[in-house]
Order: sequence, then structure tokens, then C-alpha cells
Amino acid sequence: MIVRIKNAKVYDPTNKVDGRIKDIFIKDGKIIKRPNPKEKISQVINLKNKIVMPGGIDIHSHIAGGKVNLARLLLPEEHRKYLYSSTNNLRSGSGLGTCTSFHIGYKYAKLGYTAVFEPASLPANARSTIIEMSDIPLIDKGCYTVLGNDDFLLNLIQKKTSQKKINDYVAWILTSTKGLGIKIVNPGGINAFKFNQRELDLDAKNKKYGITPRSILKILTKSLIDLKAPHPIHVHGCNLGVPGNVKTTLKQISAVEGKPMHLTHIQYHSYSNEGDRNFSSGAAILAESINKNKNISCDIGQVMFGQTVTTSADTMSQYRNHSFAHPKKWICADIECEAGCGIIPFEYRDKNYVNALQWAIGLELFLLIKDPWRVYLTTDHPNGAAFTAYPRLIKLLMDRSFRNEELEKINKDSQNNSILKSLKREYSLYEIAILTRSGPAKILGLNNIGHLGEGAKADITVYTEHQDKEKMFENPFLVFKDGQIIVKNGTIKKVINGKLYIAEAEYDQSIKKEISIYFEKYIGRKMSSFEIQNQELWDHGLELEQIRCSRNDY
Amino acid sequence: MQSFICPFCSLLCDDIRLEIKNNSFVPLNSNCLILKKSLKRKIKDHFPRIKGKKTTMSIAIEELAKLIKKSKSILFAGMGTDTKGTKVSLDILDKFGGTIDHFSGDSYSKNLKSIQEIGGVYITLAELKNRCDTIIIIETTDQTVPRLFEKYIFPKETINKIKKRKIVYIGSKKPQFLLKNKNRFAFNSIYLNSQNLLNLISQLRQKINNNSLDSTKDKNLTFLFKLLKNTNYGSIILSASELDKDLCDLIINEINLLIQDLNKFTRFAGMFLSGIHHLVTVNEVLLWQTGFPIRTNFSKGYPRHNIDQFSTTRLLAKKEVDLVVWIDSFHEEKITFKKNIKSVLLGIPTHPQKKNADIFIPLGTPGLDHNSHLFRVDKVVSMHLKKIRNISLPSVFEVLSKVKERI
Repeated sequence: MIVRIKNAKVYDPTNKVDGRIKDIFIKDGKIIKRPNPKEKISQVINLKNKIVMPGGIDIHSHIAGGKVNLARLLLPEEHRKYLYSSTNNLRSGSGLGTCTSFHIGYKYAKLGYTAVFEPASLPANARSTIIEMSDIPLIDKGCYTVLGNDDFLLNLIQKKTSQKKINDYVAWILTSTKGLGIKIVNPGGINAFKFNQRELDLDAKNKKYGITPRSILKILTKSLIDLKAPHPIHVHGCNLGVPGNVKTTLKQISAVEGKPMHLTHIQYHSYSNEGDRNFSSGAAILAESINKNKNISCDIGQVMFGQTVTTSADTMSQYRNHSFAHPKKWICADIECEAGCGIIPFEYRDKNYVNALQWAIGLELFLLIKDPWRVYLTTDHPNGAAFTAYPRLIKLLMDRSFRNEELEKINKDSQNNSILKSLKREYSLYEIAILTRSGPAKILGLNNIGHLGEGAKADITVYTEHQDKEKMFENPFLVFKDGQIIVKNGTIKKVINGKLYIAEAEYDQSIKKEISIYFEKYIGRKMSSFEIQNQELWDHGLELEQIRCSRNDY
Repeated sequence: MQSFICPFCSLLCDDIRLEIKNNSFVPLNSNCLILKKSLKRKIKDHFPRIKGKKTTMSIAIEELAKLIKKSKSILFAGMGTDTKGTKVSLDILDKFGGTIDHFSGDSYSKNLKSIQEIGGVYITLAELKNRCDTIIIIETTDQTVPRLFEKYIFPKETINKIKKRKIVYIGSKKPQFLLKNKNRFAFNSIYLNSQNLLNLISQLRQKINNNSLDSTKDKNLTFLFKLLKNTNYGSIILSASELDKDLCDLIINEINLLIQDLNKFTRFAGMFLSGIHHLVTVNEVLLWQTGFPIRTNFSKGYPRHNIDQFSTTRLLAKKEVDLVVWIDSFHEEKITFKKNIKSVLLGIPTHPQKKNADIFIPLGTPGLDHNSHLFRVDKVVSMHLKKIRNISLPSVFEVLSKVKERI
């Protein structure tokens, strides 16, 4: 069966299509160049005056795992506030920032997103995270496995183990936890907090192992390059949220010496400490550095005003901020000699100096980083805001007069301490398509999504053009997943399952002997029960899409 | 010889080796009483039953489907099941309304309530094993989690190279299981009842927050204050089910607050045990699918959670349900029958009350009779358990999926 989409205005930056009217042909869930003359076109969809983009891709959104479930447990009031009834084809659910699994799928699909990546899958929690994801319908998913605070790795680094052996360990953990990428969270800092260290800058030493975050960052960055992993190292840096931390972020950029690195939620790592309140924007100097260093990609972690909840593996930072909890309750957990978890409910207020400046800093970064291929649209869901705020965020980027009106409403000192008003840039639809589709697919090493060229999955979002970009992006006219219409005019038409992207890496299996001894001696379980098998995921109805580690542009 | 991940408590020990003799299993390397008792059960018959009389599986399933269709208010109780068993139960409840609770609901709901009110600081088993120089054990024995102590509290080696762990037992009875191992750690005990425990923890919090003992002459208070001030990483292990019912929630709140307070100057965390029926597994699935823990109701078409209103004991006592489906695929927990409330038991074939239920459907045990996923006590780790026995007993998922098809 072939479907022809005709007359649509197409934005497909990977294939350099910038608003051209063209036809798209779908066959067996994929996009084909054109049908051969003998093939019959069974359906023609006329999309005159409509805008077409590939399905949206969220590179960093906390949609599953122990931390999200702990946040749900902590906040029954949020779940009572947002309740969703079951219908003939949809399950019931609740919540916004910690929305329940089925509704994460429904809500993303209704926004035109078709692939979302969970960025903090702790190795010990990976199986649970993926089983939970089997209940997120409609979208493709993937996980980044958290490393950089596990005692096994820190011990290897302390012993000055060869890079090759560390690569074997990284490859083993990536494949046995079914991750697509590797994420570092506060390198060495979560571990240091277990030894009661309350801060750890890039060159400070972890009390137990005597090694620095810089050494962990360098070694893991190199590992992923050596392994030809699909996605370069995904980094949540040191000193999250600390005034003055932009200096550390700049040092981190130079620490990787030109090698590819993805810096995540950089808004939280862009603070200077100038002025009466010792809190100011470091966006300009960070953006300048990112503009210069072409090896760096980033996502923003934009703050939007309102109640949310912050969930992170970075217990050191989360504990540091627990006094800001709103409502006043919080959770921290130390986890399996590998990481941790902190949950702090938070309300970002537009009249609060710091919160308002955080909002402005995020926007400054978006507007000052010149290359849209290296900056991606995120709110670090739910940490800066729920992903449902994306349409509003897109409007802030595309519409300067709206942005300035919003700026007028925030804390006056924050306005005065931000250069936002002077920034004239307005994102185009083409650039938005890069930020939310083509860019994330490219940095994730996924060739079959994020574009509308031959061979791509037929994940397609159709918008009705509208002057008000928030209105346009919050209610796509049609959403296709794998060639099937899943959303029409804001209503879910069909519930299907997306796939789970996982990386396949080859490595020297002899590393497993040492890991196995470590597991039995210290972790108190067997390595074999830790390793996730494909069969158990298939049993939960998950289809896997394996991406070989063969990236050749590092 | 067969290696085995044990499904009979929430530790999910994966180091078990079993000897197989005529489809019966004997543990070779574990003295765990729960495991031994569970494996000793001899299955004489595994017929489904209607009002005690043997029937076929398809008739029993048909009858259960009819009851569910007819019911105005269903309760899924016990919920001794795995992830897929929980998923299919929620699927049915979401369509037909009704409530979900668990065997361990009465005690564990106190932990849930405390987290909902104040949060907490928690620890997983490997952290407990490797980090803690001090462990305070409150009213916890080796009865419910027999190998917790041997595997995680008295380990031979730890990452932190802890030389002599300080262990304090606080409770109403002498902990023989700890006294037997006394030479392996520095041991102290404080014997008191729940009321005095509550007072002690409250006073301790006050002293810790004032950073002063003032002029207290209380020996226990002085001892604990000094101990905690000199702790590098400590933890408290607690079984809510062993505490006085009326004081349990206050005690748990005080302990959670104490732990949060201690983290101002040192590292401290808690581990709250959850019984042997895998409440954590059920709760995790509930949280991600509905946003709420156990004691959630779907009669209005969306999830409503209330720890007091939706307790099994209350719903049965007030006769607010007309059908209760008990699920018990691990053990032989005693269940309650009430006049005018239809009772269905999905249970293991040796369940002593199988003839008393309106419908009895025999179940296999996850990890013994079918592949399964279960969550460990610390909520973080989940295990994949594989089938090792061949006597064609169905899983909760299989039974309820067939029921679902018929409704």
C-alpha cells in the first residue's frame, strides 16, 4: 500500500528542503523516493496549505525509571490535579511533570513527537526503566546509561587501567543495560557525596579514589569515540545550579580537547556570580565558547514558569538544593554503588530574581548559539518544565515581540541583568525543524528518523500554519508513526507501539571475568542476573532496533 | 543441579543452587527457611474449583469473567504477583472499575503515607552492604528477609573496607539471630516498646538538631547521640509490620525526619522492608501506569487513591465491594471470606483455603513455573526469573488475559 502526501510545504533540513512544496510517498511504514510506475497509489492525502516536518525527537526527557516513579510517589497532589479518564482506546492516568506512562506516549504524539530519549538510566535500574517504557505507546524510545560514579569504573581509573580495558567495560555496560548512549552525571560527584563531600569541582579529588572529575570526563569521552558509539558522551557536568558554575562548564569544554561531547541542560550550567545578588547570566561567554568549539553540541533545559519537580541522579546537587523544595518535601537515594537519585519539587516563579533569570538565560543561550545543528530544544522534562511547554517555548524563539512582552512580566532586576531584550534573532521554521528533529537525530547517530528522505521511517507531523506559533505547534493536524495516522486534529486515532533503540558494541569478553567477581563480592548479586537479555524485553512486547557502534565522523 | 533466582521474598537471591529430584527441588547452598518451606510444598492436585468442586480451567475462567461483568464493585486483593500480573489486573480494573490493594497494605501504607508527606533518604542493598559503618535495626528479624543479614549486613568484604561495623538493635524482643553473630560486629541493643521508641527518636532528633545533649541522663539517648555524631555513613532498617499499629505512622515519620536531619552533617539513609508478597513490584507498576501506589480505585474512570478508604480490611468490613479477587502466587496467605461478597482465589495449588472460595484457579509461581520480572525490596533492582518447573500451571497474566478476552 502506497500513500502519497501531496501539496505540503515541507521542512526537512537533513535533505536541505526549506519550505518547498513537494510530494512524499509512504510504503510499508517507510518513506520511498517515488513508487515504481506499476505500483498503485492507494491513498492520496492533499495537504495544501499545511506544513510538514519529520516527527519530533526529544533528546533529553525523563520519562521513565525509578526516579520518575519516586517523584510520582512523592507528589499525589500533582496527580490528583491532572487526571485523565479512560476511553474506548485509551487508558486512564494522571500527572503532568511526572505524567503516567500511557499518557506520556499520548501527549508526545499529540505534540507531533515520535521519538523520545530517557537520559538517566542507572545500570541497576535499567531493566525496570525499560519495562516501564514498554507501557509508553506511540513513540520510539531509548536510554542513556549513567556512568562515571560507579565504584568499579572509579577503581579502574584510580589504578590507571588502560583505555582499552575501560572501553571494554563501557561497551559491556552499554550492551548489558540496553542503552543507546552513555551519560555522565556530575562525574565522581555522586560517589563523593557518599563519602560526605558536598562539592567537587572539575579538578578536585574524590576522597575515596583520589581522582578528579576531569580524568573521568576525559576517559569516558575517549571511550565512546574509540567504540564508535552512535552518540558521543552525554554530559551533565559538575556544579549544577551553583552560581559561578559557567567557569567550570568552560573548563569542561577545554578538558575534552576538541573531542565530541554533548553538554546537556546547559542552562543549569551557565551561571556567573556577578552583581549584588552574586547570580548573573553566563550565557554569552558559554555561547561564545560553544560557537568556537565545533565539537560541542548541547541541549538547553529551558525553565518555564510554574510548578514542576526536579529529578536527577545528581544527589550532591539535589541535596544542596533541597531547602528550595516546593512543597517542602524531598527524596534522596544512594544507589547500588553506581549512582543516586534526588527528587525536589520546585516552583519556578516569574517574580523571583533567580528563577526569572534562569528563564532568560535559557533563551539567551538559544539565541546566542549560532549553529542550530548543535543546540536542541529541551526543558529537561520535568526539571525545567513539563515537555507540554514546548509549543510556548517555540513561540518564544520564533516571535520576538511575544518574547519581549513576556520579558516585561518577569522580575525587574532579572530583566535588567539580561541581554535578552537586545537579541533580535527569531528562529525560522527551518531552524525549529533542526532543533527538534534533524539535529537530535544526527547527534544520536540515528539515520532513519529526523528526516523525510528515502529510507526514513514515515514519522511525519503535519501542522496547520498559524501566525501564533504556540497554537500551531500545540495541535498538529496529523501525526504519522511508521506510516500510520496516530493523531488527527488533536485526537489519538490509533495506539501502536514504538521501538526501543539500543546500541550494539563489540568488546573483549575477558573483562566479564573481573566484573563477575566484583558483582559477587561487592554488589551481592550475579553479573548474569544484571545483564538484560533481548528475550525478556520481547516478552514485554518491546521491539528492539539495534544500532551498531560504527559511527565514522568522530 | 539448577541455578535459581528465589521469588519467595523481596531480596530475590540469585545465588541459589537446587538439586532436582523427581520434579522436587532441594536447596544446596541456602538455609533460608522461607525458601525451604516454599519448595517443600507437595502439589497433590491442581484442579480449578467452583465452590470447592473440581472443574476445568475454561469453565473457571468463564465463571470469573461472568462475575467481573456482573460486579458493581470489584476488589483485587492480596496481589501476590509479578509485573505482568499487575499490568493485566490494572487493565481489567481500568475498564471495569474497582480497587487494588495488597497483602502488605496495612503496614506498608504507613511508609507510603510518610513519603507522600515528607519524602525521605533511602539506600539500596549494595550501598547498605558496602558503605555503612553503622546500621540501626528497628524491630526487624530474620523471619521476613532471612538472608538480608548474612548477605548485606555481615559481609566478608566491602568497598569501603569497613573493619567492624557498629550494629544497634532497637526493639521489643531479644534478637537471637543477631546475638548468634555478635563477634562479627560491634553490637549494642536497646529494648523498648513502640511508645518509648517514638519518644526516643523524637528526643534524639531534638538533640541532634540542637547539636547538644543538654543535661540528659538518658543512657540510650546519650549512646545514640554520640554514635550518630561519629557515623560516616549509617542506615536504619525498619519493618513497619512489627510496630504498634496506632503509633506506626508517627514512628516512621520521626525516623524519616531524623534521617533527613542527620544528612546535614553526615550521610544516613533508611531501608523500609515490605514483606514477602512483592508489594514493591505491584506498587512500581501502579505508580507508572496510574500515578498512585496501592489502594487506588478506578470506579470513576480515572485513578483515585486513598490509603484509608481503599484498604481491603475496610472495604470488606463495610461491604463496599461485591466481588473480591484474591491473588497469591507465592505463598499461602490466609484470606478472609465475607458473607454476600463473592470470593475468587487465584492461588498456588496447595493453598489451604482453595475449597472455600467461590472460584479457585490454580496458579504457578513466578520464577518457578513461568518467566517473570520482580522488583527487589529497594525498588531499584528488578530481576528476570526463569521457569524451572514443568507442571503447566498458568501465570496470573495468562489467566487474567483469558478472562479479559471473555469480558
